Amino acid sequence: MRIELLPLAMEKRKPVVHAALHNGERLGLITSIDGNQLLTVLVSTLTGAVRCFETPLVEKHYPSLTPTIPQAHWFERTVWDMFGLLPEGHPRLKRTHLHEPYTNVPPPLSSRAGRELENHAYQFLKVEGDGLYEIPVGPIHAGIIEPAHFRFSCFGEVIVNLEVQLGYVHRGVEKNLAESHWRKTGFIAEAAASDMPVANAVANAIAIESLFGASVSRRSALLRGVALEVERLGMHLSDLGGLAGDVGYLAIASSLGRLRARPLRIADLLSGNRFMRGFIRPGGVSRDLPESLLLEIHATVRELRSELAPVLSFYLDNQVAIDRMEGVGKVSPSLARDFGLVGVAGRASGNDYDCRLWNADFAGLRHEFTVAHDGAGDVLARAKIRIMEVGTSLNIVEDFLSNLVPGKHRTDLPDTLPASSCAIGIVESHRGELIHLLITDESGGIKRYCIKDPSVNNWTGLAIAVRNNYVADFPLCNKSFSLSYGGHDL
Amino acid sequence: MLKLLSYLISKGVATNKVIADSLDESCTGLPTVTDVSCATECNVCVSACPTDAVAVADGAVTLDRGACIGCNLCVEVCPTGTLVNDRSTSVWSYERQGLVRSKSSFAGEPQPAAQTGAFGQSLAIRVLSTGCAACDLEVAAAGNPIFDLERFGIGVVVSPRFADALLITGPVPKALHAAVLSSYEAMADPKIVIACGSCAISGGVHAHGYAEANGVTDLLPVDVFIPGCPPHPWQIIRALLAAKKLPGRRQGNPMPDLGKLPA
Repeated sequence: MRIELLPLAMEKRKPVVHAALHNGERLGLITSIDGNQLLTVLVSTLTGAVRCFETPLVEKHYPSLTPTIPQAHWFERTVWDMFGLLPEGHPRLKRTHLHEPYTNVPPPLSSRAGRELENHAYQFLKVEGDGLYEIPVGPIHAGIIEPAHFRFSCFGEVIVNLEVQLGYVHRGVEKNLAESHWRKTGFIAEAAASDMPVANAVANAIAIESLFGASVSRRSALLRGVALEVERLGMHLSDLGGLAGDVGYLAIASSLGRLRARPLRIADLLSGNRFMRGFIRPGGVSRDLPESLLLEIHATVRELRSELAPVLSFYLDNQVAIDRMEGVGKVSPSLARDFGLVGVAGRASGNDYDCRLWNADFAGLRHEFTVAHDGAGDVLARAKIRIMEVGTSLNIVEDFLSNLVPGKHRTDLPDTLPASSCAIGIVESHRGELIHLLITDESGGIKRYCIKDPSVNNWTGLAIAVRNNYVADFPLCNKSFSLSYGGHDL
Repeated sequence: MLKLLSYLISKGVATNKVIADSLDESCTGLPTVTDVSCATECNVCVSACPTDAVAVADGAVTLDRGACIGCNLCVEVCPTGTLVNDRSTSVWSYERQGLVRSKSSFAGEPQPAAQTGAFGQSLAIRVLSTGCAACDLEVAAAGNPIFDLERFGIGVVVSPRFADALLITGPVPKALHAAVLSSYEAMADPKIVIACGSCAISGGVHAHGYAEANGVTDLLPVDVFIPGCPPHPWQIIRALLAAKKLPGRRQGNPMPDLGKLPA
């Protein structure tokens, strides 16, 4: 949606954010445009309405929100990295993105001179005492998984503290986006977290279309909805299979590996490739869905539904599998709320926030859309939420496909974006709330393109979840959060 | 338990017996260049390409699949049918230049001469992800019951010290340069490097930025290139089968001679 930047004085910033959090809004994002201001984005969890405040900055120092609003902590660290702005009073100010090789370079997104980054040696939190020791893991892990460094402080087999050092796959995505023509931004956004390309491309398309004031046809809106749910199905099945593998339930892991081919097949039919890369375009979708393929997709969805039923019931009927997941990796509802967890992790800890609730395309569907949530906050709850959401996604795909009306699959958009304007695209990806913020300059070029991946909120959740758990349960906890490294590192 | 067992038996073998030569009709695959001449002064594919993978010189188009992300825009805009979809699963190359498609390559590439393989019937690969989750998922999918990579003697191992091949996915940004180099150093001779996906080959959409995410070719000698964004599991499997036939590189870091180790 198109938004206006609302001016907000620095001294009013903290009370405004506090009041908003008490009134059902959440802290969507804290960032800056070029280092001369702070942007604070607040999102209503009930309606999806967005308020974006701009606080001008002269100096590089500003008072940190973190001491009273813990969910601001990661945003403020990232703003320090990217713009060189120092949050005063931040209890654990460390780099999130830029590593030692970036010492003495200017912050990548700042327009101000003289803010070169110093002090890049990363200091892990020291946990000291008799019998305490550290396990360093990574950045390269012993599996097919993205890189990050995990530092476990342990007492015996129990994790006392986990610190996650990310940034290893920082590729300069946001700067690249700001230097590209808008027609190319979708392809860069798809590669930001390349296991959720549809969600990123939809957020990109929503932001660009709303800048132009363009609307897409009902047909392409529904096809986009199908693509999003098919992506969710594929990734949820992949994650559930991974969880089954991590508890040693290999029959289910390989069955789900086999069944994941079905959503990928639907993706192939819909878009021409298994990840639906390039399918979502500003103005619509890349290709229309012919009647013959529509029938095949319908048949594949029905097959998948009937094939999944026995596998998922074997999954949750097995007491050994349940015992391995129950009570492991718990995040309490209050901590989940304080740290602003989103997506499956948030919903497993009692928060029923789901951006799909505001989606107008869901109105008038045969199956009523309800948000799956659970209060237990453990690995089992996260697995159960995924299982429920697989069912919901199958319903939505069927409903969208049967409601497809004829229409243009794409409309052309002008070459230049409207000047000096601002738009935001929010999408519920399979990981949770994904935000794209786009601001244009006086000539319609992109001045700032910011992506807030759901993993930015949820990495802290993982660190909380593994406390007082066995080191050996870390892979299980990690898989249950299914976080993106690339989406965070950008 | 018996119910589960009977369910598994009732499902039979999911594995595809034939290695597919081409992807399904519904897939777009990667673009390729045919021998149809371009329209005069036509440049639409060049301006459409998000990664500068297409170039037109003297009225002839060349396409670098090492930079291509398979977005299909060039094929969509091409008015003459010079650029078309290619659904072949044999997209790998031993040479970087072999990924470049032009009118002359359409007639057919000379098949690379069979080399004396150092790895026999098995190849142990270490997957090193540097920022592309999609390539990781497709490499993992190549090991699922449908594609079943292990039946070809190719397994994924957990340390570079166990590996014959280092398979790189992602554009290798600055923060990982040191880790990638030390992984390569840790491997015993003979060893090979496989660049999987357009990011690993050229940086893909991330190339030329301050994070120096330009792929692995500047850091390590690459023996097999697998283009695609991401490549299909069949394309990965075909490339790995080709990798098995390589002699491997020797860097003076051989396996320890167990006979000479102190007792």
